[in-house]
Amino acid sequence: MQLKRPPSPLHLGLMAASCTLLSGTARAQAAPEDSPEQPLQIGADLLYYKENAGRVQTIEPVVSLKKDFGDQRVLDGTMTIDSLSGATPNGAIPARTPQTFASPSSTSLTPRPGYKTTLYTIAPGALPQDPHFKEERAAGDLGWSQPIGLDNTLSYGGHASTEHDFDSVAAHAGFSHDFNEKNTTLSAGINEEYDRIHAHGGNPVPGSDYALYEKEPSQTRNVAGGLIGVTQVMRRNWLAELNYTFDHSQGYLTDPYRIISLVDDTGAVTGYRYENRPDTRTRQSLYWVNKVALGPTVLDLAYRHSRDSWGIGSDTVDAKLRIDLGSGMYLEPHARWYHQSAADFYNLYLIETAAAPAYMSADPRLGAFAATTFGLKFAIATGRNGELSMRLEQYEQRPSDQSSALAELQGLDLNPNLKATIVQLSWHFEY
Amino acid sequence: MRAGRAAAGGASPPPHAPGFELTTREGGLVAVCFVAMASPCELLLETDADAARELGRIAAEEAWRIETKFSRYRPESIISVINGSRGHAVVVDRETAALLDYAAQCHALSQGRFDITSGALRRCWTFDGSDRLPEPAAVAALLPLIGFEKIGWQSPRITLPTGMEIDFGGIGKEYAVDRVLTLVAARFAGAALVNFGGDLAANRAPAAAPWQVGVERPDTEREPRLLLELSRGGLATSGDTHRFLLRDGVRYSHILDPRSGWPVRDTPRSVTVAAASCVEAGMLATFAMLQGSDAEAFLEEQSVRYWCLR
Repeated sequence: MQLKRPPSPLHLGLMAASCTLLSGTARAQAAPEDSPEQPLQIGADLLYYKENAGRVQTIEPVVSLKKDFGDQRVLDGTMTIDSLSGATPNGAIPARTPQTFASPSSTSLTPRPGYKTTLYTIAPGALPQDPHFKEERAAGDLGWSQPIGLDNTLSYGGHASTEHDFDSVAAHAGFSHDFNEKNTTLSAGINEEYDRIHAHGGNPVPGSDYALYEKEPSQTRNVAGGLIGVTQVMRRNWLAELNYTFDHSQGYLTDPYRIISLVDDTGAVTGYRYENRPDTRTRQSLYWVNKVALGPTVLDLAYRHSRDSWGIGSDTVDAKLRIDLGSGMYLEPHARWYHQSAADFYNLYLIETAAAPAYMSADPRLGAFAATTFGLKFAIATGRNGELSMRLEQYEQRPSDQSSALAELQGLDLNPNLKATIVQLSWHFEY
Repeated sequence: MRAGRAAAGGASPPPHAPGFELTTREGGLVAVCFVAMASPCELLLETDADAARELGRIAAEEAWRIETKFSRYRPESIISVINGSRGHAVVVDRETAALLDYAAQCHALSQGRFDITSGALRRCWTFDGSDRLPEPAAVAALLPLIGFEKIGWQSPRITLPTGMEIDFGGIGKEYAVDRVLTLVAARFAGAALVNFGGDLAANRAPAAAPWQVGVERPDTEREPRLLLELSRGGLATSGDTHRFLLRDGVRYSHILDPRSGWPVRDTPRSVTVAAASCVEAGMLATFAMLQGSDAEAFLEEQSVRYWCLR
């Protein structure tokens, strides 16, 4: 009774439905399906960061909690309380003569009744740094993600942090869609952040003469951003992800504690101005990360290219190699190279006689520099899904602009290299 | 678990056999036998007993897993959860969602004849060979509770109106056969045949000769056992066995048309279909039964191998 006619439309439809049923559930079975509620995952991290030459140091304890309520509905949150202390460069360059500054909390440059004045004097040739810098911060964030249908994930969350002089709240939402048998994931997200800046002693008037010590009430800014990305399983052992992010900041983007030196034609310091940055900034970046499993060893290789409307362009290459040592232990060497170009309005100092630019900053973070990080992490498994780890890293930042040809500034290291040591202890466990 | 057969059920299936048995057959075959879904289950493997033991365990556990998960008799099954949801939405896992999608497609392809909600008709139909037909009014009263289109199904969320019920009769056992074959074939390069109470699937023929498959006919006194050869693919049978009602010389088959609530007239005694997979073969056999007197014409149109007994 073998018939040679082609299958009927009904039979074709049934063939397709049967194939979908059998291939679809074969995949579903391969994946952990029907995932039940998971134990609470707790992470306790202690990060110690110390810059060289008595500069900033911080101890940052972070507690993180993650709960999978089953079927990939996940709630996670972190709580951080940290304190930052040490000397912080104020933006002025070293000079041949002693330089005296007021700590930001001062309300007057000269002592007078009803005002507060705390002064510090910097020796000739030394980098001006505020020795009284101390900051405490509490921050928390909370996020939720859940599947929507079989192939989509929705996530949203919020973040809040507070310091004596800065408050920030932010919210984000993201959506991702899996297709191509879950080998491809498309993601999109948006975020919005609102900040309030109320510096110790008031926010200085941007660009104003430091000697006038003009302060304003608190200022605000907001940041709106978005992300689109694609994650692709390239091979059985190779996962690649490409992300494009965009954000736009608007409002008070100036650092209220940074000043910039004014020098005459010989390089002698004649005064200072508060820095002044544009009140908008747009940033775009492209991020490409690959995870490749080479047997039990996992290579994580990432590249980021970023540019912004201030003229800063940067490139980062980041590589981590996780080497399995057996018995639940692994070693992870880490190397990172970073380079950025300077913001259009960045200068080590301003020439007093030249026309004052609209925007100005001597913040080394806006200057051109190269940086490297080398680190090593050692981790050991503890109990069920637990891990104890220690990470040690050395960071070095080398600015491009470090000297001047002006007579008075010759031989001075105007913008010293920065070195920092990072130690992190982590304990992650299930409860 | 065919729709028609399930419609006549009511008793709980016997508990699982505690394990499975291995026997060596001629032709270099090993048979793994166990009981699942109220059927004798057999896995035939072209290998030795040592290799068959692990594959047999995988096969039996998969069959029992599917039975436990989808049996409407088990209070903890997803089917019982959905049937007891009283109008509240239930979010189902991927496997259940795939089966519900399949049921929806089969409902559409059969123009409403195949319907996983038709089990509610059991409340007035009992096929015990007697002449006790239900009151037409009682059948009509159940019709508002029948019809896949009345279910809210938006994967992975199902909302079943209060009073309605679903079951995977006509899908579940065939699905188990294909799943077991897939699991076994992924771990084993030789020939394998899965046979759950006459619904079967094979990955390929043994080296010596094609599989010899005996299909039980409904009335064995009158018809000899049907012997078929199968190399690969699925084979399934839908039959009305002894479950029918007889009144005024009219034989009422237990195959119910969910659109009217009444038995399909002039169904064949048995339809056996060969197709690419067991689910496909089983659904074609069920569709054919639901065609009643047009069963053979329907099967001719589908261009499949079939054996139809009246």
